[in-house]
Amino acid sequence: MTLAAQYVANGLASGGLYALVALGIVLLYRSSRVLNFAHGDLCTLGAFLALSALQAGWPYAASVAAGLVGTGLASAGFYQVLVRPVREGTVLGLVITTLGFALFLSGFMAWVWGTDTKPFPSPLSDVRVYRLGGVVISELTAGSLAAALVLVALLSLLVQRTPLGLAMRAVAQNPVAAQLLGVPARRVLAATWALAGMLGASAGVLLAPVLLLDPFMMLDPFLKGFAAAVLGGMDSLPGAVVGGLTLGVAESLFAGYVSVKFKATLSFLVIVAVLLLKPEGLFGRPFERRV
Amino acid sequence: MRTFVGICLVLSLALSVGVVAQERGVTAEEVVIGTSMPLSGPAAYWGAVGRGMEAYARFLNDQGGIHGRRLRVVVRDDSYLPPRAAANVRELVERVGVFAIVGLIGTANAFAVRDYIVRNEVVWVTPTADASMWYGFRDKKYLFVTYPSYVEEAKVLVDYAARQLGAKTVAVFYQNDLYGQKGLLGAKQGAVRSRVRVVAQVPYEVTQADVSSEAVRLRESRADAVLLYATPRHGALIVREMAKIGYTPKLLSSFTLGDPIMFALAGEAWNGVISTAFFPLPGTGDNRVDQALAVLTRIDPALRQNPFNALAGWAFMEPFVEGLRRAGRDLTKQRFVQAMESIRNWDGEVIRGVTFGPDRRQGINRVFLTRAEGGRYTRLTDWVTYPVGF
Repeated sequence: MTLAAQYVANGLASGGLYALVALGIVLLYRSSRVLNFAHGDLCTLGAFLALSALQAGWPYAASVAAGLVGTGLASAGFYQVLVRPVREGTVLGLVITTLGFALFLSGFMAWVWGTDTKPFPSPLSDVRVYRLGGVVISELTAGSLAAALVLVALLSLLVQRTPLGLAMRAVAQNPVAAQLLGVPARRVLAATWALAGMLGASAGVLLAPVLLLDPFMMLDPFLKGFAAAVLGGMDSLPGAVVGGLTLGVAESLFAGYVSVKFKATLSFLVIVAVLLLKPEGLFGRPFERRV
Repeated sequence: MRTFVGICLVLSLALSVGVVAQERGVTAEEVVIGTSMPLSGPAAYWGAVGRGMEAYARFLNDQGGIHGRRLRVVVRDDSYLPPRAAANVRELVERVGVFAIVGLIGTANAFAVRDYIVRNEVVWVTPTADASMWYGFRDKKYLFVTYPSYVEEAKVLVDYAARQLGAKTVAVFYQNDLYGQKGLLGAKQGAVRSRVRVVAQVPYEVTQADVSSEAVRLRESRADAVLLYATPRHGALIVREMAKIGYTPKLLSSFTLGDPIMFALAGEAWNGVISTAFFPLPGTGDNRVDQALAVLTRIDPALRQNPFNALAGWAFMEPFVEGLRRAGRDLTKQRFVQAMESIRNWDGEVIRGVTFGPDRRQGINRVFLTRAEGGRYTRLTDWVTYPVGF
């Protein structure tokens, strides 16, 4: 029983981070129907920017803020310079644009920061642990999970309770009508991209101390975040969180009791199963199109 | 007119003879060598080996090269993917026109390009891959290996765990590709010989990020000792995770994790890890290795981040350079092979005790054991030799 609880605790820890990645993907998809394949690399960029600030002697909070702001600007800049003009084209064109940006970013990071794996400092310790019954959870893991949940709560407040959130929802539902009613759609979309970038950067900063930082750190978490988004429903923010946590726990239990060898395959199986059985995901709205 | 045609014919014949005699990748001014390694992707950390090779070549070139020829190293990125390694090697041989392939990281990658290189009779020095893949393999005329066998290395590690650390059971944490699988194979064979039991085999994928459930699996096996065949990142992560959940077995790792960076990545948890090494590690009292590292970091200061990889680049190239020296100014493939075959018990600056011969292509067959403590590795044993396999 303790063993199962340990697997669940591990799963929740990694699931919380998948959820954070998934949120960034879903936030953008909801508002602009763009699947951003560069999201993982934006997360890593945030971590590298924060690391550089830390190495320059900035305090921790200021360094993290610098990482978030820098990544937000990079994300909004990417929208303004590349995505907006390409949006007139096809969906495939957009997807390929984001893929290109992902390649550019990973090359850029390898060039600037090198490809060697780096430890990323954290105010929380990975060695100090809490024991609940027989279940062990480190201060760092617990802190990351808590930070992820706080970020989710803040994001839902922003989307549901602020004028910017209202404008974001309006643009997501009907961009033309929103523009006719005086909502500055382009600026709202740029703000959404910036927000998604910042969310990604915070995921990067939370993941880097746990996973160790290199330019390709997010390969796997991005894939998992994507699977979590599909599982939860591509246009549902709560779905992304539930999807992330479910995937994390499922993966951990699968590795513990079924096969550790096929653990990595589970997220693909989840994507295939969801697309077959419930394409809109657990919390997504069914796809409809008026003809 | 007839005279003119005659002259043209003679000239073209002479030229073609000249072209035939010209060895691929060798000109009056330079020798071109190629290699493929992960400069991007999950194993990009090992790409520093390529920078070490380039820095070593610059060091040699600054001294006038070998017999008046400069060394040009062409490094291609394969992201640790065998299909890309295969494409890279074809490009290096057919388009760039290299004299030799030196190194080439990854057992699975080396396996993927092996047939092509052998079929095309390309000189290949030190494939950075499990040496046991050459046991029983024919057509090795142009192949020279100064890289240990993971299978034999794992046997040495298991033997040490059983005899010196008193382990009765071992578990293996391994990368699920040929690199890790060869380590696992060696551990199983070693376990039979040393009368210990392998109680858990826990694989991970090289792209995988989180290894917490793998750590729990290892803890549940209650093995006395755990062998690590992983990338530095996964090695550091699993050691940290195991320590976190209160599992502290004896830890033994492949020499691929013998880099001081492990202390930064794994922290306290790396203390006490027993690793092998196939050349003297920097900072362990070997002046020549320390000087070699000083040369490399002077040329490329970024190599300070991973001294082991930088020196490995030097070590992989060194036997090739010795072959060039012995082959003389009139360099052909045949002369190079003869020169390499004349190497007996030769010590380089980094790699030591290399022997080749007409029937011997395995240049080294020994490792020694080290212990990690307080940010540095100390030598534990003398050389441990294993039988020459090819």
